[in-house]
Amino acid sequence: MSIIQQHTQATLSDAWRTINIDALTEDSSVNFDVSTLHPPLPEISEADARAINGQVRQLLRGGDAEGALRGCLEMPVYNGSEAAKETHLHTVIEVLQSIKASEMTPMLQRIFAQQGGSECLDVLMKYLYKGMAATSAAADSSGRATPARAMTPQATGGFSQVGQRPMAANESTGSAMSVLLSWHEKVVEVAGLGCIGRTMTDFRRV
Amino acid sequence: MSQSLRPYLQAVRSSLTAALCLSNFASQTAERHNVPEVEARTSPEVLLTPLTIARNENERVLIEPSINSIRISIKIKQADEIEHILVHKFTRFLTQRAESFFILRRKPIKGYDISFLITNFHTEEMLKHKLVDFIIQFMEEVDKEISEMKLFLNARARFVAESFLTPFD
Amino acid sequence: MAAPEVHHLFHRPIADHSFSADRQTLAIARDTQVELYGRVGNAFKLKDELKGHDKLVTSVDIAPNTGRIVTCSQDRNALVWEPSPTGYKPTLVLLRISRAATFVRWSPSEAKFAVGSGDRVIAICYFEEENDWWVSKHLKKPIRSTITSVAWHPNSVLLAAGSTDAHARVFSAFIKGTDQRPEPSPWGERLPFNTVCGEFLNNSAGWVHAVAFSPSGDALAFAAHDSSVTVVYPSAPEQPPKAVISINTQLLPFMSLFWNGETEIIAAGYDCEAFRFQGGEQGWQLAGTLEKVKAGRPGLGGEDREESALNMFRQMDLKGKVTKDDTQLKTVHQNTVTMLRPFEESGGRVTKFSSSGVDGRVVIWHT
Repeated sequence: MSIIQQHTQATLSDAWRTINIDALTEDSSVNFDVSTLHPPLPEISEADARAINGQVRQLLRGGDAEGALRGCLEMPVYNGSEAAKETHLHTVIEVLQSIKASEMTPMLQRIFAQQGGSECLDVLMKYLYKGMAATSAAADSSGRATPARAMTPQATGGFSQVGQRPMAANESTGSAMSVLLSWHEKVVEVAGLGCIGRTMTDFRRV
Repeated sequence: MSQSLRPYLQAVRSSLTAALCLSNFASQTAERHNVPEVEARTSPEVLLTPLTIARNENERVLIEPSINSIRISIKIKQADEIEHILVHKFTRFLTQRAESFFILRRKPIKGYDISFLITNFHTEEMLKHKLVDFIIQFMEEVDKEISEMKLFLNARARFVAESFLTPFD
Repeated sequence: MAAPEVHHLFHRPIADHSFSADRQTLAIARDTQVELYGRVGNAFKLKDELKGHDKLVTSVDIAPNTGRIVTCSQDRNALVWEPSPTGYKPTLVLLRISRAATFVRWSPSEAKFAVGSGDRVIAICYFEEENDWWVSKHLKKPIRSTITSVAWHPNSVLLAAGSTDAHARVFSAFIKGTDQRPEPSPWGERLPFNTVCGEFLNNSAGWVHAVAFSPSGDALAFAAHDSSVTVVYPSAPEQPPKAVISINTQLLPFMSLFWNGETEIIAAGYDCEAFRFQGGEQGWQLAGTLEKVKAGRPGLGGEDREESALNMFRQMDLKGKVTKDDTQLKTVHQNTVTMLRPFEESGGRVTKFSSSGVDGRVVIWHT
């Protein structure tokens, strides 16, 4: 059976040019199954992620920030629905935001020195990048008004004032980002560039 | 302002240094070919997790690493339409002269203003930390450049408006 | 510790290097050809060029006893260069692969060699007397991506291979008629061709850049792109290994490694310098760099003081770093080290080893 045989109205267009014929060959390198690059992972549902969130919050309220951080880093959601991953990301970011800047480095060093600490920091690094990607993507979709606004001529006020409103929105995401960025810096200090390397190579994505 | 610029550039610097570990890798799909895998996308196992570093919603960097090439895309800060136009003109000027910049990609990827493509042939010929420096320097210069251009444009507009309106004074 | 012997040959990447048994001849894979350097006093002088490939030569290996040189290239071919009074004579090897050949090594017996390829096979090549030709048998299963490196077990039957599918594997490359039946080892007892004796994947699944058997052959080490070195101790055939020890480092990935005795591994890669790992079955750890700190670089540290503090803070603020005249790295190699090989051994220990890198340097180090 071939993909394109008869010339119909649909195939007369250029659509057939975009068919990736490599993908149809079973043992082509395009069809490499990257899920074989890690052992099978337990599936974590959204409810589980919420349960972890609850426990972590409890620890935070109890003042055990380090335990909270370790707790959420030891249970990363690799295999789960988008919602579950999203929930866990929020849990991690919540913990990160509740820790004071002066406590970051000593806490990371303590975690790094413990058994399995290096893996914990790898997971933290994954969440830092995901946090930055997620927030900027969300801002992108909500910020759709900006190009539309560009179409309409400005009434008055001059150009310099136009930027006021989006800048105000920037403040909040900007401060959220700066928390992630300073964590990023501290993690690199403790776990080195190898930690970023492992974030990239690992196919267990958060 | 520059208080948050430093960690941002530092994060870009360390991520780039870690991502720029490239080796010569011949294509697995086409024989006797050697292509940047990040562009060809024919072997999923040699493409790594893309990293995003964001300073705020308007400024971010996307690093897409692979075994023999990485693609770096930068979204330049655009606070208003003037800056939007200026960034567009500026990046267009650069990309039209892409061959003089070696690592510049002719077309930015979607959602970003300018992209760079660094392959193993670049890291073989150039010093890796200097390549990283170049990207970092570009990122800080471009912000400065755009705001300077904006100031200049506003000054000129004011001058034109003034001289145009003088007769009616 | 004596200073390393640095030979800066040219400004192009060295894909691979190999010394002859007497260490007087050095073969270098440079672009599409192999260059032979001869030792003249303290330097290496170009003496011959082996031209036969038309794409990048990826690997070269000199057989210590026979003096044959085998090369392979991204043009899908491997050539065996036979020494003769009038120079080296190339013979094409029947590889039967349709993608780049990436790595080649002679077996310790020198009767055969293994060629890794981007075609997801390893070609085990041996000489067939009746046809007067180098022919090959393929190790195919379960390789799923490009082979990045291979290493022979001392018994010349087992072969370790690292691949970009993040697995390090141990195969049997037993060729009837060429090989003696091997002694049973923890890897396996009966070893027909293409027996998979072990398949290892580490946690963060980086591409495997380098593999090596320990001198006894009873342990396997591999370096992966996740900046880790993993050591595997097999227990018995068909059994899970006794110990799999993974060292996740804070450094950039390693490209090459070799064993120095049973308790030490030396690895180098994107950090442009060699590192020492020490340990055993109980555990392994990073023991430090082999680079002499600040040796032969007088004035380093003193001259930066002139820079004004204001300037320094401004630089740090703007670029996140202090700019100095930093066109030169502090390491001996100025770019990625791609290959390490033992150079001189005595009493089961490597006393000297050589490294080559993307910067066109070959350096001989003392361990």
